[in-house]
Amino acid sequence: MARLLVYYHAKFLSYFRRAWEWCFLVSSLAPGAAARFLDELKAIVGEEYVYYHPEDLLVYEYDGSIDRGLPGAVVLPISTDEVRRVMALCYREGVPVVGRGSGTGLSGGAIAPPGGVQISFSRMDRILEVDTENRTATVEPGVINLDLDNHVHKFGYRYAPDPSSQKACSLGGNIAENSGGPHCLAYGCTTNHVLGMEVVLEDGSVVNLGGTARETPGYDLRGVFTGSEGTFGIATCITVRLLPLPEAVKTFMGVFPDVDSACTAVSAVIGHGIVPAALEMIDALSIRAVQNVMDLGYPEDAGAVLLIELEGLQEEVEEIGIEVEAALWESGPTLVRTAEEASDRERLWAGRKGALGALGSLAPNYYLVDGVAPRTKLTEVLREVAAISERYSIPIANVFHAGDGNLHPCLLFDERQPGALETIIEAGAEVMKVCIDAGGALTGEHGVGLEKKELMPLVYTDEDMDAMRRVRDSFAPHNRLNPGKIFPDGTHYHPPARRPEPGLSI
Amino acid sequence: MSRLGLSPPATLARSLGSDGVVPEERLGNFSIDGVVPRLAFCPTYRHEIVETVGWAAAEGLAVVPRGGGTQMELGNVPARYDVALDLSRFNGVLDYQPADLTATVEAGITLHELQRHLASGGKTLPLEAPLSSNATIGGILSTGASGPMRAAYGLPRDWLIGISVVGGSGTETKSGGKVVKNVTGYDLGKLYTGSMGTLGIIVEATFKLNPLPQRLQALTAGFPSIALAVEAANSLSGQVYAPQGIQVVDGASWLGLPADLSDVVSEKDEPVPGQAVLVAFVSGRVRAVERRLSEGADFLRMNEASSVRKLDEAGGRKLLGWVTDLGWERDSGHWLVLKLAVPPSMTSQALSVLPRALEGLPEPGTVADPGFGLVRLMWQQGSLDTTVDGHASVIVGAVGRARALARSLGGYVVVERAPLTVKRLTDVWGGEPAGAEIMRRIKENLDPAGILNPGRFSGGI
Repeated sequence: MARLLVYYHAKFLSYFRRAWEWCFLVSSLAPGAAARFLDELKAIVGEEYVYYHPEDLLVYEYDGSIDRGLPGAVVLPISTDEVRRVMALCYREGVPVVGRGSGTGLSGGAIAPPGGVQISFSRMDRILEVDTENRTATVEPGVINLDLDNHVHKFGYRYAPDPSSQKACSLGGNIAENSGGPHCLAYGCTTNHVLGMEVVLEDGSVVNLGGTARETPGYDLRGVFTGSEGTFGIATCITVRLLPLPEAVKTFMGVFPDVDSACTAVSAVIGHGIVPAALEMIDALSIRAVQNVMDLGYPEDAGAVLLIELEGLQEEVEEIGIEVEAALWESGPTLVRTAEEASDRERLWAGRKGALGALGSLAPNYYLVDGVAPRTKLTEVLREVAAISERYSIPIANVFHAGDGNLHPCLLFDERQPGALETIIEAGAEVMKVCIDAGGALTGEHGVGLEKKELMPLVYTDEDMDAMRRVRDSFAPHNRLNPGKIFPDGTHYHPPARRPEPGLSI
Repeated sequence: MSRLGLSPPATLARSLGSDGVVPEERLGNFSIDGVVPRLAFCPTYRHEIVETVGWAAAEGLAVVPRGGGTQMELGNVPARYDVALDLSRFNGVLDYQPADLTATVEAGITLHELQRHLASGGKTLPLEAPLSSNATIGGILSTGASGPMRAAYGLPRDWLIGISVVGGSGTETKSGGKVVKNVTGYDLGKLYTGSMGTLGIIVEATFKLNPLPQRLQALTAGFPSIALAVEAANSLSGQVYAPQGIQVVDGASWLGLPADLSDVVSEKDEPVPGQAVLVAFVSGRVRAVERRLSEGADFLRMNEASSVRKLDEAGGRKLLGWVTDLGWERDSGHWLVLKLAVPPSMTSQALSVLPRALEGLPEPGTVADPGFGLVRLMWQQGSLDTTVDGHASVIVGAVGRARALARSLGGYVVVERAPLTVKRLTDVWGGEPAGAEIMRRIKENLDPAGILNPGRFSGGI
């Protein structure tokens, strides 16, 4: 609240303004040095691509998570050379740096550290090359995931990792978080598809990791870099592997009276020795949300919907399809539908893809928790989640990657209610503990970031985390890149509750 | 007292027992490039591994882990080598959840034994590695070994979901877990995979699995030259019905097929040296396998293949094993093996200019994986006259030229196997890789005493 008051104050009293602008950088720089620093940033990327006025910074304050942090300045470079020079400057001045793609991350990965500079990649968004012979594409980090996928379709290829935010999220962000998506069940996550990267390190030096050759000598630095949440370096050019488009695709939708029977169907499918391309679940509350905004023709009493997609040769899809249908019918569905034509398949997927957006029809805010459980324990874990929902009186909608046990309980709340944010953070932590107790993981595809760093000791010992920090120190000896993320340090950036502007979802 | 006055602490010795400490007269079996360790242990329990490394760290003794010993020739000559740690007895299956498609094993289990165990629950780890009856999971991960279906199913790094290692200070740490999707903390499993045990000794690994394919079969097709076979492989791999693995083997190596296989795959029109054979492996559902085989065969016939044969399951599996092992068999006499890796599209160009680079050396045996950009070149012992002075520098010269060629194509050459005279004259990894400075810092930070397999890895690590 105090910060907002200052914000409005500064907006109207322009002579306060410059002092206010610089105070963002004060934690790392003296006032005179701050002015000089901004001038040097402008000299590198151009005056119009350095943001430091409070009203310009406000939209860079948050990502898709519940955390917030105002950057000291935002720069929008156009080339590796500019990124390199910006980072060398920040290194010299001791200013921490964080990269930002589209800001869709759900764990606070792109939130700037106090007094930090955020490098936004929205201008570095070119697809540089599609190499059909090597089945690779080379892109700048700001390229949107779906844009790349659509672009390579023309050549008969696809980029397999498809986060639910693929219409908006960037490849650079995907690398930072090792993002997943529905089709990662069959094809693996980002890390299985990145071949090479040009990376700028904290001191501004540039190094190439991996390459077009499928293996490179020495340690697998591109492997460990992927998913390092922006703490090792910033990728400025990325080469990814492409897969040929499948000959046949078939989508199955099973509607079940409750989550338990849908979970039984998941086990039945996997138990038949089938690993579909995607296997997703939507629960009753999410269905209701979707039905609020579009009519999908789901039965009124649908308790859970499963979506299963098969891809491959015509023969495989037909043969396995018969088994999938049988497995669905074994588990007591009220309805099973199939679709082969692209437009029909899209209709079946509409509920899944539109679910998160539709949650806005139920509550002003949601907190999406990303946890993983062994897929055979889905039933019990979801029961525990339901119990948490009841205990905290928080509605929880589940839309998730059932095939690989990757849960996404969405805790619905209203940020304007006093104490609501604190309560859902507590309830979210309980959900994650349930996953860990079932033998699962703290995060399947969203990253640790700010959100879960204090929970890391649930899965890793001090020694485990020490080894990880030592690897980070090898890339970034001064820990200037995205500091304060991943590892517990007792700090948190959770902001005080505030009145969200209309349309602002956290 | 053991060799050179070195003996393990009493508690460790007691735990290892008499059969856990290798007698001095058998230490020669553990030599690497002629360097014999001062001690060798065969631990059965995890704490013995932890204690050994802790003790070695305190004493500054160099420890070299070892699984089935199938790839001990890989790497530079050890800088120091005090203690051999043979993990082949540390070989249990700790957890197997067929319904979750995951398995956790101790590092010393062989790939063959693991697959046998997994098959009982209808699952498989879709990886091949040379000499799988002896090659252990720890060794396969450490060396990043792979097989003919790597282009379709990936590498060990792609299937590993959790790992535990004993680091250079003797502390066991883990990364990842037991679920198939996990981004909690850094993915150190990627770092340990292919690190030759220089960052930590792998003790436990968890993998995601695949359902056992209903069928695995193979196709073979003769071609007038390696170049034509590679060209056919490239166009076949672009078809929708492409096999999951395509290898090209030179005619001379093909003649080395064991009798039980050559009966199955060749008749009168068998290829002769100078010619080549395309070998394709197909796995999956029965109907899909049949289509890949029949359309693949038709395609090859229309693309200059002289003879095309379909192998049944038994023949296909046997051939898969043979191709995977080619160049690695201990008694094959393969004495110089080079691995050339380039971007896949550069494979045929590399093969066409290699002979000029390798001038002065006899014609090598060749196995190429065009879809992956991998070529293995193999020379038999005796094919080069090693009594001639300077034979090593002839080889090193040829390797240098091959490296320059590979670099110009965006790749590199690793000397996987070579006589000591050659290894002493060249870095088998081909010098400093990109990011060498970061790699050195990682090594210093995870193995501060520098005791884990020193000297054998890339970049002098």
